[in-house]
Amino acid sequence: MASSSVTRSRGLKLEGVPASPGIAVGRVLRLDERGRHQFYYIGVSAAQVRMEIRRLHEALQEASAQLQEIKVRLAEQLGYEHSFILDAHLLMLEDKQLIRELEHEVRTRRVNAEWAVRTVADRAIEVYKQVNDQYLRERTSDLEDVASRLLTILSGHEEFDLSKLDQDVIIVAKNVGPSTVAELDFTHVLGFATNTGGLTSHSAIIARSLGIPAVVGLHDVTRRAKTGNMIVIDGSAGEVVLRPTRLMLAEYRERQQRETRRGTRSADNQKAAETLDGVRITLRANVELPAEVESITLFGAQGIGLYRSEFLFLNRLPNLPGEDEQYNVYRTLAEATGEAGASIRVFDLGGDKLTLAGFEAEQNPALGLRAIRLSLRVEHIFRTQLRAILRANLHGKLRVVLPLISTITELRDAKRIISEVKQELAEARVEHNATLPVGVMIEVPAAAMMADAFAREADFLSVGTNDLIQYILAVDRANENVGYLYQPLHPAILRTLAHLVRTADSTQVPLEVCGEMAANPLQAIALIGLGVRALSLVPASIPLVKNAIRSVELQRVQSLMKDAMKLTSATEVEALLEHELPRQAPKFFAAWSSKP
Amino acid sequence: MQERKVTISNRLGLHARAAARLVRRAADFTSTVQLIREDTAEAADGKSILSVLLLAASRGTSLIIKTHGDDEERALNALVELVEQKFGEELSDGVF
Repeated sequence: MASSSVTRSRGLKLEGVPASPGIAVGRVLRLDERGRHQFYYIGVSAAQVRMEIRRLHEALQEASAQLQEIKVRLAEQLGYEHSFILDAHLLMLEDKQLIRELEHEVRTRRVNAEWAVRTVADRAIEVYKQVNDQYLRERTSDLEDVASRLLTILSGHEEFDLSKLDQDVIIVAKNVGPSTVAELDFTHVLGFATNTGGLTSHSAIIARSLGIPAVVGLHDVTRRAKTGNMIVIDGSAGEVVLRPTRLMLAEYRERQQRETRRGTRSADNQKAAETLDGVRITLRANVELPAEVESITLFGAQGIGLYRSEFLFLNRLPNLPGEDEQYNVYRTLAEATGEAGASIRVFDLGGDKLTLAGFEAEQNPALGLRAIRLSLRVEHIFRTQLRAILRANLHGKLRVVLPLISTITELRDAKRIISEVKQELAEARVEHNATLPVGVMIEVPAAAMMADAFAREADFLSVGTNDLIQYILAVDRANENVGYLYQPLHPAILRTLAHLVRTADSTQVPLEVCGEMAANPLQAIALIGLGVRALSLVPASIPLVKNAIRSVELQRVQSLMKDAMKLTSATEVEALLEHELPRQAPKFFAAWSSKP
Repeated sequence: MQERKVTISNRLGLHARAAARLVRRAADFTSTVQLIREDTAEAADGKSILSVLLLAASRGTSLIIKTHGDDEERALNALVELVEQKFGEELSDGVF
């Protein structure tokens, strides 16, 4: 077995959060902000003071110019909302008091500019660290970032000019933030491994939107990996192997090639996602950033099945995106998807994602005021979003999806608000397109059980398996102690999904599955065996899932799932699928169960 | 000179972006702007982001805003309004 070779080997295996699928093998480039600069105390003569002060001003100007440039690039690459983070940094560089303090340090202590920057920054950081407020204490990173930039400029050279990488690397860092991203030359970046972050962290989103493998939340990978080390990243399993043995390298390289053969890139874009017996499956894209719109065509998606609109907020709070700004984003989505259209999920805020000022932190956010519950509570924010969607809808075919619906009243209230907004727009003679299908996210067990009632009043059902599994199995998969209980193939999940498919069929309402299950080839085949005909997944996984679909015969998969439904545990279901699918579809699945 | 007391009421206090908004707004006026913590009497230059950040005013901190100059009244009103409107934050920073 492949797994035994791993335990015998000397390669160090680290487990993190699988943030972006695929395997990358290459050499480490460690980005270590603190270690990048060498600076010394140099006493300067009275005559040299003026020169040091001039160096200081030149560095401040250069840093401002760099940040301005990064801000523009960031807005282009990742969207306007991400560039706000740099505003505070720019203001610091223009700060008269900071400049006075730096000058004062050089003049009175007769030190070089580098030393002045370091000591003034450290003093400020020290004050901040005393603050009796954890959030504010953590903001020292802003100060450190600015100081680092100044020191890099003053030192006259960078250890790595990130925009001029001449070989392929795997980035290992505490975190890959927007200013690093803007500097990187992505044609040479094979993958990311970071200490911090979860699925919705910056590093994760960036990797997914670029379609490169990433593992985040590795805690101390920066301490263990050195620049130049060999490293393997398995972004599908959430594993990283440092300094792999030759045997392990060979295994991963082989798997990497198999995955490439099975299509992780655009080779099979033009082919339909059709089973051997001719049943077509719709594959749509889950999208978080405007920059990902390009990947829709690149990976051959049929429109957008889930646009997570709350990502408009990412890194730009406290400011809310205004109606026009939202309109521009939704219009981009509408125009990019044309006839296939795009489903915009209403802000899924609250819970673990965002808290609203004026509402206290909750004991149990997963069961608290979030998603549609919050939208109905802060109705003006909801209405602004709806106005932007209805206006943008003139340029394509948009749909709106309501997250975390648990009672029919919530659907009715939301629909009432939607029709009021349409009427307001009509009365104010604002151009819009009122043909806007409204879908319900099935994420709460109560909604799954009452699916027939929702099907009668909604235009479509969208099953969010991540939350549905969490709520049915009462498991937080990010919790290390109970994460093993998060089992997508648990018979309770399969029965729920089968019930949803039956309901959708009998009520003639379209049903789509948009959780992570849809991006896992084995689970995706289980879904279509249960009768699901439309999946929405991360764009980079579409070619892989498409090839899995093209390798199976629906009839046989359906009877396989009938057998699976009779089983009583996830382990049994998994064993059955891992045994049978390689027989049914050797071309694709033969390699699947023997992954290292 | 004009002055008024305000309480920082946005959830995250005067963090980088809130401070940035305050400093930008203060820069719109020719008057000098001073922020003074009521509890410690620490003072900050309202036109310097570093100075404002170093006040480290978390939620619940009372500040006295003092403005002095030709447009002191307008400046004071604008800044008080900004603080009272929680720096335009309806939503506070996420835990992304």
